Amino acid sequence: MCKIDSEELARQRWERIKAAADLKEPDKVPLELLLDFGFRARWYGITTYEFFFDYEKAKKAIIKTATDFPTDFPPLPMFGTGSLIGLALRDYPDIARIAGVLTGPMHDILRDKYTRWPGREISPNSGSFQFIGGEFMKADEYDDFISDPFGFIAEVVVPRAHQSLERPGSAEAMAALIRAALEGLKYVEAVDSLVNGLIELGYPSLLAFITSVPLDFIGDFLRTIPGVLLDLRRRPDKVKEACDVLIKETMSRRIILTSRSVGFVLIPLHLNEYLSPKLYYEFYWPYLKNIITSFYNQGVKCQVAFEGRHDAYLESILELPKGWGIALFEKTDVRRAKRVLEGHTCVMGGVPPTLLLNATPSEVEEYVRKLLEEVMPGGGFILAASTAIPAETPPENVRAVIRAVEKYGVYRR
Amino acid sequence: MSLLDEIVSAFADLDEERTINLVKEALEKYPLNEIFDACRRATDIVGERYERGEYFLSELVYAGHIFNRILELLLPRLERERVSILGTILLGTVEGDVHDIGKNIFKAFAEAAGFKVIDIGVDVPPQKFVEAVKEHKPDIVGLSGLLTLAIDSMKRTIDALKAEGLRDKVKVIIGGGRVDEYAKNYTGADAWADSATKGVKLCKELLGIKE
Repeated sequence: MCKIDSEELARQRWERIKAAADLKEPDKVPLELLLDFGFRARWYGITTYEFFFDYEKAKKAIIKTATDFPTDFPPLPMFGTGSLIGLALRDYPDIARIAGVLTGPMHDILRDKYTRWPGREISPNSGSFQFIGGEFMKADEYDDFISDPFGFIAEVVVPRAHQSLERPGSAEAMAALIRAALEGLKYVEAVDSLVNGLIELGYPSLLAFITSVPLDFIGDFLRTIPGVLLDLRRRPDKVKEACDVLIKETMSRRIILTSRSVGFVLIPLHLNEYLSPKLYYEFYWPYLKNIITSFYNQGVKCQVAFEGRHDAYLESILELPKGWGIALFEKTDVRRAKRVLEGHTCVMGGVPPTLLLNATPSEVEEYVRKLLEEVMPGGGFILAASTAIPAETPPENVRAVIRAVEKYGVYRR
Repeated sequence: MSLLDEIVSAFADLDEERTINLVKEALEKYPLNEIFDACRRATDIVGERYERGEYFLSELVYAGHIFNRILELLLPRLERERVSILGTILLGTVEGDVHDIGKNIFKAFAEAAGFKVIDIGVDVPPQKFVEAVKEHKPDIVGLSGLLTLAIDSMKRTIDALKAEGLRDKVKVIIGGGRVDEYAKNYTGADAWADSATKGVKLCKELLGIKE
């Protein structure tokens, strides 16, 4: 594809997404598929182990699937996960891109305890690396964390969370960090090349950074999810203080993926569906609202993934400024979400990956047709898989979703 | 109110320390079966409150934690005294998925309800499920998984049970945040649950146990 064409295509895709986010009717319903890493690896003909441990192959697999399954949103230009070391080094922006990521080879070097990888702890064809977190802060250490959160992460949490860094200052630890940095250089190079490849394919470069709600951070990286839930009962004041300290730092905890991004701040939520209203409105929502509103005031929109069933808190989204961004729903019915949030919040989602596993393409098309009939009028809607589409999904069903949007998602020719 | 009733109400209200103290007291006065029965009644109430939207997952996790603490207190006696069980559940997170929060909550609720649960861990390959079914002869096989990729593993596990002629000898329930009716049909399971309490209820139904 020649350069002008891809620029024009990227412009159209971006205008489409932007119109929906601004609660308007675009030319057609924007589409996002959320193909998981395993799907991309399988389509390209490699194992997920190869995908995660050979950046060049991962890059090619992402480019291949982005070519063969075109959508409006670009695939996330990453094939690793956020790293604890990156958080510890948040005052060193010059190395943020290298320090901020954890990849398969870095997992080998640093021997972190919070992730599991295909071909290592799990089978080479398992659909993705998995984030499992860990208890790297003890229940009685909240005060230490609160008095100096990032110092605590650097000096206490990081050594506990990585076998190779258990003895800070040891030759082993220093060698591991230097090796990880060298690996990081290779990774950044691969990601830059991937981003260029996606731009050539006519994708807008969308993602500025990913951030999280303080309580999710505490659950993921410090206390485990069951651990933080117990803390909410046993030492709520300490949890609250830790959240307050973290929210002040949130803006500097971003993971910068690419400097050319124009799009959205991505906020995946974990504990939202776990919490009772009492806990949600005290420990979660004020912080999420704060993050979204601060970005909104700077002219940046957020894309929030409301994991699980968010039904109980749907109405509270109306407390945000109108047009704040995009709400991706997993198990909350997007029809209901669209009714409740009409004219206020762009609603995203609607296609459960489980449907795609076991339907015929015509059933998929029919499902999308019916859904769009209800939710597309008035705009402010983005069709998306409600969560990652796994490797075993028949590709013809993924194609059926794309075809259905072309057929039934057009507002004006 | 009897001591056992007090346990039921303290546990159902998730008053951890009070529940533990009451159980310690009851240990000296009641047969194990009756203490278990109090736990079952309490977790039934927790389940009802969850279904009604009064309790959320955070409360289920907490109730599971309280039950595990009770279980620790009961263990020494459990080795000596027989308690009646509703049936045996073989439980594991399927191959490729290493998440266990959902599995562990389900396990606590199933045990509190009176099931014997054999937990074979996470990332369990189909063949290991097959061998465990042969060894333990469970009434129910519970396949857990958090990620969407787990759904295909669930199918492969059930296929492996079929291939070994074991599928008709057990009931199979799939569980996790992302399973649904589509996933049930795809995998060939008998039931699906996206919450621990619903899962336990369905296990009882699968075995024809009346509430």
